[in-house]
Amino acid sequence: MKNTEKPWWKRLWVQRGLQAFVFVGIAYLFVFNVIPMVGLIIAFKNYHIQNGLLGMFTGEWVGFKYFIEFFHEYNFSQILRNTVVISLLKLIFGFPVPIILAIALNEVHNRKIKRVIQTASYLPYFISWVIVSGFCVIFLNTRNGAINSVLVGLGILEKPGNFLGGPDFFWTLAVITDVWKSMGWWAILFLAAISGIDPTLYEAAIVDGAGRMSRIWNITIPAILPIITVMMILNIGGLFNGNFDQSFLLGNTGNRDTSDIIGTYVFRVGLSEGRFDYATAVGMIQSLMSVLLVFGSNKLSKKLTGSSLY
Amino acid sequence: MGKRTIRKTREDYIINFVIYLFLGIIFFVTAYPFYLSIILSFNEGIDAANGGIYFFPRKFTLSNYQGFLTDEKWILAIGVTTVRTLLGTIVTTLFTCVVAYGLAQENLVGRKVYMTITILCLYFSGGLIPYYMVLRSLHLINSFLVYIVPSALNLFYALVAISFFQNLPKELHESAHIDGAGEIPIFFKIILPLSKPLLATIAIFTGVGHWNSWFDSAFFVQNKNLRTLGYLLMEVINRSNLNTRSQASIMAVTSNIVLTPMAVQVTAMVIAAFPIMIIYPFLQKYFITGLTVGSVKG
Repeated sequence: MKNTEKPWWKRLWVQRGLQAFVFVGIAYLFVFNVIPMVGLIIAFKNYHIQNGLLGMFTGEWVGFKYFIEFFHEYNFSQILRNTVVISLLKLIFGFPVPIILAIALNEVHNRKIKRVIQTASYLPYFISWVIVSGFCVIFLNTRNGAINSVLVGLGILEKPGNFLGGPDFFWTLAVITDVWKSMGWWAILFLAAISGIDPTLYEAAIVDGAGRMSRIWNITIPAILPIITVMMILNIGGLFNGNFDQSFLLGNTGNRDTSDIIGTYVFRVGLSEGRFDYATAVGMIQSLMSVLLVFGSNKLSKKLTGSSLY
Repeated sequence: MGKRTIRKTREDYIINFVIYLFLGIIFFVTAYPFYLSIILSFNEGIDAANGGIYFFPRKFTLSNYQGFLTDEKWILAIGVTTVRTLLGTIVTTLFTCVVAYGLAQENLVGRKVYMTITILCLYFSGGLIPYYMVLRSLHLINSFLVYIVPSALNLFYALVAISFFQNLPKELHESAHIDGAGEIPIFFKIILPLSKPLLATIAIFTGVGHWNSWFDSAFFVQNKNLRTLGYLLMEVINRSNLNTRSQASIMAVTSNIVLTPMAVQVTAMVIAAFPIMIIYPFLQKYFITGLTVGSVKG
């Protein structure tokens, strides 16, 4: 670069326009990201919202009081269990489906059919959780929900099941809706990887007399294994994110035992009850869990694939 | 792909059958909820409450839409959401690209520091409560700006944009710079016209996010005239989800049209999903871009 010989302040002056671009962005980040991070200190302080933003520096220190309080909360283990279990179930059941879908789509040689199915399958990704929860009400409500009507009509159930209002079904519902919403989207990614496979491999396999199943098993799957690994790691890193909408919208007082997660709990005690300091402390526990996962999965990815996020 | 000179074996037939069956199920499961909602929105609400409608409306009516589209509350929400979506998409797309363009210059003084701050903010956050405190002290609570300002810069899309700009030929910027053009004209006249796929990708995802939003409207806004469509929809769904309410509970929308909560719900759902259902098939080519850049290094 021709610029590198100049001292930095001269370069700074030459690129003042660019610096202005970046400065605005960094200033913005400072307000909306950095200050909230600093605001985490209210987890260790007495804080009232009336004290305003600067109140976070003036409140008296209380140490780990709120953390201990949360550990003694009567439903603490339940909330922690739900947070972890819902995420894990989604990962275990939700991960194979898009891969199978991508492989199946790849085996379809009729372009029109392929396109129609693909287009339908990722529509749910663009639909909000609000609408998904609306679908759940239409299909599962006890009065006239389509699924209940069919199950009762076929004699599988004696009376309509309370799928939405009771605690027994929430985890299943969470996994099903999550898979339904995201499978088509992730399948695009795997399909892109599959279409990058060298076609001569398949041709050679045909000449060798390999059947279709064996071609899928011995060529397709090994070829997309690296991207599967990377995606898996990315998913583990974001394990606890993105469950809030689902738990909040599909959750209710009837199924709270299984639907309440740290995110919804923080929301309830924080924004609804106004216990800002306590809620911040609880939220921090989830952030710490997430951070550990991000670093852990990144380390893992370095070990396994040699590629990492940073 | 096309040349299939080999005779189909029995295995081929079995595999084809299994694959088409599986894909048929996937297609039905993803499309049917949308289909059923549309059917229900064209059916009399009181009749629909008896259940048993699966493939065709039983008592066809347009009154759900009439009642809906004459209700000021919903019209206002559609308006607010539309304005928010258009404005928010433009602001986020432009602002994110401007910042990313600056960060993409490799000889930028202090680039390491800036990138470190960016990555840090991408991975860590203060969480909901401190964030709310900041919004409150900026007087964004209960103002329309809370829909636009806090989401004006999206760091994930910024990373996508940085890698895009770094793949543009460097000479573009340098030659224009030597000609004495300022940064802003260079960016708008030369760089942006070359970045249409990037702009489209960011705009689509931002736009969908704005259109679907409900959280900020529910918790950062108390003014009833600033409600978004997603929020009103959530309210209605929660109401029709309460099984404690008797079936006869009917809400009057206007003086002459009465709608059941369920009818309001499905109609609102169809109206909220409609723009997305119409637009997204035409934007397919950008999805791959949006997805594959997700796995770029920061």
